[in-house]
Amino acid sequence: MDTLYISNKDWESFIRGKIESRKIFAPFDFNGTLFYAKITAENADDIVYNRARPVEPLKLFLFPFKERVSPSVEGIGDIVVMGPAACDLKGLEILDRVFKDGDYKDPCYAERREKTLIISFDCASPYPVCFCELVGLHPYPEGNFDLNVSRIPEGFLVDIGSDKGRVFIGEDQKFFQITDELRKKRDEGRRKAGETIKELNRDFDFTNIENLKGACQTELWRIPKEVENCVQCGSCTNNCPTCVCFLLEDTGNRKEEMRKTKVWDSCLFPGYARMAAGASPRPTLYDRYANRLLCKYWYMVENFGMKGCTGCGRCIAGCAGKIDKRRVITEVLREKEKV
Amino acid sequence: MDKNIYEPVKCRVIEVITESPTIKTVILKPEKEFSFLAGQFASLTVPGVGEAPFTPSSSPYEKETLEFTVMKAGRVTAEIHNLKPGDTVGVRGPYGKPYPLDFYKGKEILLVGGGVGLAPLRALFFALMHTVKDYKRIVFCCGAKTPDDYIYKGKILDEWHPLCDKLPLCFRITVDRKDEKWKYGEGVVTKTLDGLDVDIKNSVAVVCGPPIMMKFTTLKLLEIGYTDPQIYLSMERKMYCGVGQCRHCLIGDLFVCKDGPVFTYDKLKGKPNIWV
Ligand SMILES: Cc1cc2nc3c(=O)[nH]c(=O)nc-3n(C[C@H](O)[C@H](O)[C@H](O)COP(=O)(O)OP(=O)(O)OC[C@H]3O[C@@H](n4cnc5c(N)ncnc54)[C@H](O)[C@@H]3O)c2cc1C
Ligand code: SF4
Ligand code: SF4
Ligand code: FES
Repeated sequence: MDTLYISNKDWESFIRGKIESRKIFAPFDFNGTLFYAKITAENADDIVYNRARPVEPLKLFLFPFKERVSPSVEGIGDIVVMGPAACDLKGLEILDRVFKDGDYKDPCYAERREKTLIISFDCASPYPVCFCELVGLHPYPEGNFDLNVSRIPEGFLVDIGSDKGRVFIGEDQKFFQITDELRKKRDEGRRKAGETIKELNRDFDFTNIENLKGACQTELWRIPKEVENCVQCGSCTNNCPTCVCFLLEDTGNRKEEMRKTKVWDSCLFPGYARMAAGASPRPTLYDRYANRLLCKYWYMVENFGMKGCTGCGRCIAGCAGKIDKRRVITEVLREKEKV
Repeated sequence: MDKNIYEPVKCRVIEVITESPTIKTVILKPEKEFSFLAGQFASLTVPGVGEAPFTPSSSPYEKETLEFTVMKAGRVTAEIHNLKPGDTVGVRGPYGKPYPLDFYKGKEILLVGGGVGLAPLRALFFALMHTVKDYKRIVFCCGAKTPDDYIYKGKILDEWHPLCDKLPLCFRITVDRKDEKWKYGEGVVTKTLDGLDVDIKNSVAVVCGPPIMMKFTTLKLLEIGYTDPQIYLSMERKMYCGVGQCRHCLIGDLFVCKDGPVFTYDKLKGKPNIWV
């Protein structure tokens, strides 16, 4: 992969030069928390580089919360999203498999994906909830981006991940081939970030995570006390980069109009799996809580050949019941060993 | 451009038949040809109301019209019951995997259906009857709560039952509670499996009905000698997309819409909450 170097000043003017012609989103700090916002001439100096992932999952740009699918919406525009982290990019693989690369194609996803340029960042200051290292990932992107930006004191290192990314850089003369020394510097920073995450997670044990397969007995999930604190708000699923569940709503109002709108749904909601006349395969809160984790570490592994959890920690940070799923998993795995 | 997977084919309602106090059959004429194989299902839209999955109950060989037999169970099904000839509905599909009829050839096919579960079995029955010589025998066990709850009564009792004299076909008919006019068996549908004269080694059992009925039928079939892979179960789950995206229909890692809706029991064993 090609990696280029550009000075701080030149990168900033490069981005400023792009905002005229494109809608570019990037992470900004709002009261200590990173959220995406559109880059404008006024805020362009405040973009936060290389901290860690923003609050919103990348899916928000590709799989909107609510969207009409029949007849499908038109006029999807080009955008650039700066700031997704490695965990978000890994999640893209699942979105692609579900909405684009299967036997049936979502009416809008492929076009949105094509029209979205992704400029990811390294994570230099992981949050206490981050645990990518526990699920076999690292806090720096290794693929699935168009460009990736790593900040070092001397400037920015930019990896070119696709032709789309190369075109975005174009013939700009301010980018240079990097030296081994700069690459080493980046590697060292990356290694440290990885170590930080391992250290943050030393109380949690995911070594036998594949043993969650078959761990579907309701009783097992009653053991970690905190599960009962789930208030079924759906924050975990909404914020997750790989949660793809949605429902279809018939929004036509005339007798013969068959409009369908796709809306995010959450398997934590009691109505999610409820069938006719109220029967439900997951009647208790524990069944529903377990389902989400079993989906990540069992079902999605079977469906996509990869875990459905990329360790972004959003479902921990945003949990209204203050449940730390790492602790729940550690405990459930330990209890399962016993029986 | 690919065809929009969510766009239904418009259909005109031709007739609505009352089968029982809670079950009606709607006969539809699709604007474009809509073909399916026995075992596959479709998603039926009532415009402005909603959509729900149903298995066609008509013959897969019938190309002009399409029938669904629907039990009134909630919002969408109530609106289906209110349909009148001339109304417009939508159908998309077919989805799911058909019954492996090639594999069934030469075997004794045991069909066990209860209540509205007879609907999908009717489509399968039509398909089997189309080339009835290919199968060793068809044994159709049907159940319902009371004689009034029996669907397709006219068909099963008056049209199909008499065929047993001429074809390798037999019916075992029961109701949970009979009335004075009922001439057939009494007892839950598993009772029809007592004293079954089937060469089990060369047989498959196809079951469709409410979860509790499927559970006890499966246990009974295992007891009388059927093995897990010989038992075909029609699974029901909440569905939206029908195409393996929305994840509502998962039984563990299995999509009812895409991998099913019919599964052999060996595939389901060990998955969470199979029987609901
Ligand atoms: C493969 C398959 C084949 C089937 N075949 C048949 C058949 O041949 N005959 C038959 O009678 N039945 C069949 N069924 C069952 C049938 O699909 C259900 O009875 C039907 O879905 C009930 O829908 P309802 O709206 O009437 O029920 P409700 O109980 O009103 O709704 C069911 C669920 O839909 C959701 N829901 C309700 N309102 C909304 C809304 N506004 N927006 C979004 N979601 C909502 C809720 O989760 C609710 O619990 C089959 C099911 C499957 C999976
Ligand atoms: S399950 Fe939680 S930690 Fe894992 S990817 Fe989803 S939101 Fe992130
Ligand atoms: S975020 Fe927490 S409280 Fe909300 S549904 Fe998820 S587990 Fe339950
Ligand atoms: S119905 Fe959507 S995945 Fe099966």
